[in-house]
Amino acid sequence: MLEVIDLSRRYGDTIALDGLSFTVEPGQLFGFVGPNGAGKTTTMRIILGVLEPDGGEVRWRGRPVDLATRARFGYMPEERGLYPKMRVRDQLAYFASLHGLPRAAAAAATDTWLERLGIADRARDRVESLSLGNQQRVQLGAALVHGPELLVLDEPFSGLDPVGVDVLSGVLRGLADEGVPVVFSSHQLELVERLCESVAIVNDGRLVASGRVAALREGGATATTVRVAVSGAGEEWLAGVAGAEVVDRGPAGVLVALRDGAGPDALLDAARRAGSVTHFALERPTLSELFRKAVAA
Amino acid sequence: MSGLRGRRAVALVARREITQRVREKSFLVSMGVTVAIVVLVAVVPALAGFGGTTTYELAVSDAASVPVGAAAARGAGAFDAKLHVRRLAPAKARAALDGGHVDAVLSTRGLASKEQPDKALVGMVQAASREIRQGQALQRAGLGDAEVQRALNPPPVRVTTAKPTDPERDRKGTFAFVAVLALYTQLLTFGYLLASGVVEEKASRVVEVLLATIQPRDLLAGKIVGLGVLGLAQMVVLAGAGLGAAAVAGALSIDGDVVAGAALAVAWFVLGYAFYAGLFACAGALVPRQEELQASMTPLTMIILISFFVSFAVLDQPDGTVAHISSFIPFSAPITMPPRVALGQASAFEIVAAIVITTGSAAALIPVAGRIYSGAVLRTGSSVKVRDAWRASRVRA
Repeated sequence: MLEVIDLSRRYGDTIALDGLSFTVEPGQLFGFVGPNGAGKTTTMRIILGVLEPDGGEVRWRGRPVDLATRARFGYMPEERGLYPKMRVRDQLAYFASLHGLPRAAAAAATDTWLERLGIADRARDRVESLSLGNQQRVQLGAALVHGPELLVLDEPFSGLDPVGVDVLSGVLRGLADEGVPVVFSSHQLELVERLCESVAIVNDGRLVASGRVAALREGGATATTVRVAVSGAGEEWLAGVAGAEVVDRGPAGVLVALRDGAGPDALLDAARRAGSVTHFALERPTLSELFRKAVAA
Repeated sequence: MSGLRGRRAVALVARREITQRVREKSFLVSMGVTVAIVVLVAVVPALAGFGGTTTYELAVSDAASVPVGAAAARGAGAFDAKLHVRRLAPAKARAALDGGHVDAVLSTRGLASKEQPDKALVGMVQAASREIRQGQALQRAGLGDAEVQRALNPPPVRVTTAKPTDPERDRKGTFAFVAVLALYTQLLTFGYLLASGVVEEKASRVVEVLLATIQPRDLLAGKIVGLGVLGLAQMVVLAGAGLGAAAVAGALSIDGDVVAGAALAVAWFVLGYAFYAGLFACAGALVPRQEELQASMTPLTMIILISFFVSFAVLDQPDGTVAHISSFIPFSAPITMPPRVALGQASAFEIVAAIVITTGSAAALIPVAGRIYSGAVLRTGSSVKVRDAWRASRVRA
């Protein structure tokens, strides 16, 4: 379990983190979302010890994180970084050694990951001669080659095409299934919603919401909302349902918020009286909606 | 645990520096060029006839001139030269002169040569001719052979000097100059390699991946040690190649003094590099791109360049005021001290004091440089001020 406890950090007069706390459970895919400048990168850098916090601490498996512990973490910074003139295989083996793997084990792990990431045929090429997509794979390899206990990735999906997104999603899902918690930041909220069990939403260096995605969506609803479509009828019938208000119109039907104790049953009855019901579903707010609401507040 | 990890990290970083550099073609080429320059500087003066003994080839084309030729060969030593004399028939002598096999042809008609002959050669022949003619005149005047010999070869004038000059002074001067040249280029080269290596990691952003694993001071130490080992190896190769070439060309007789001088020059590279390395690393850490490195290194390259110029004054007057002062300044001592040692003009006290001062300054400077480096190396995007870098790294330095 990774615990981020009450982190604070300033850059001159700018407050980057203001008492940020959250927890990542073993085997969890954890989404870290927030607008630009919210403090995501700063938090990740502190977890990896690249930056010192002004206050607060990071604990891994109940203990404060030290250098030896960090050697067992894997990290992919937002600004990708590899030695451009170093050959792919040498580079990954070097990173594996820096993480403490003996030479033979580093070489073996490098070959395994080159195979798994589909770049074994480029092992002897210089990084600078690779396509951006392949460089991204090497970068991921650098974070994975030593078999990390915890993976922290800053915007790992940015710049990937849909196939790349699927491949990376698969790799991350596989690691989480092996019990390795994966923390990653992303602006692609649909992706985070689909992939992650838990998220933390940060804004201005503070935690706005965190927890299981399903629970957040449940709790984020201020009223029961139902999307309903009735063929052969307009919206006039809604006037007969007390507490119902149209909040959105879309091709799948109108989105109706039910307030003042109105229930979906009364709405359904009214809809059936009006015509033939083709769509009727309870809707939870999406992560994007929660995010916008949280950031606007 | 952390100490061991640190040393292991330093070793890994250093090993990468060495293996990656050695595989670079540009590095090997520049090393080859440097070796070639040092060998040339060591060998060319001897081949061109500066300082060393010159050998002349003289053909004698008639019997009457044979004694003059022989006398000239005997007296060549006084002209710091050797003279080989050959008796050739006039036609053959002419051909040898045209073919460049002899420098001049001596006959009763005089000295013939293709171009203006060396003054030394003319002087030797002139003196020999005078000796022979005077001898003949004295014999005609009735003197016996022994008396003629005594008259012509008076005992040499005894020369005493208040301050004896080292007979090897010129050769040692060349040796000292080569040492200065090697130290100057090596310090600049390896300072630049270090700084540009730091910028490379910063510009490519790989430094953030590295610092997520190892501490900035271990990364810095590894880079300094790795390049230092390479620089040291290159200095040893340069010293070996330079001395070897000079010995083969006859420019320098290799004795214990010369070997000790070369070893001391190599040791001074280590001291100078230790002193300057941290500064060069900071110059690299403060800028975001290679394009801006030149500007941030300028103060350092200027100081090294000035030390290089000061060393000319030191070569000229190794016991002068400038020489004494510059030996105790850690910025200049690595370049100005070795030539004084090579010329035998530095006292043991001065040598030890200079080593202590430079080593002490390096030891004091490295933690400061490490802190500035740590504070600056992660700040990508724009140049960093030294003061901001110092403040930024409160804990991790």
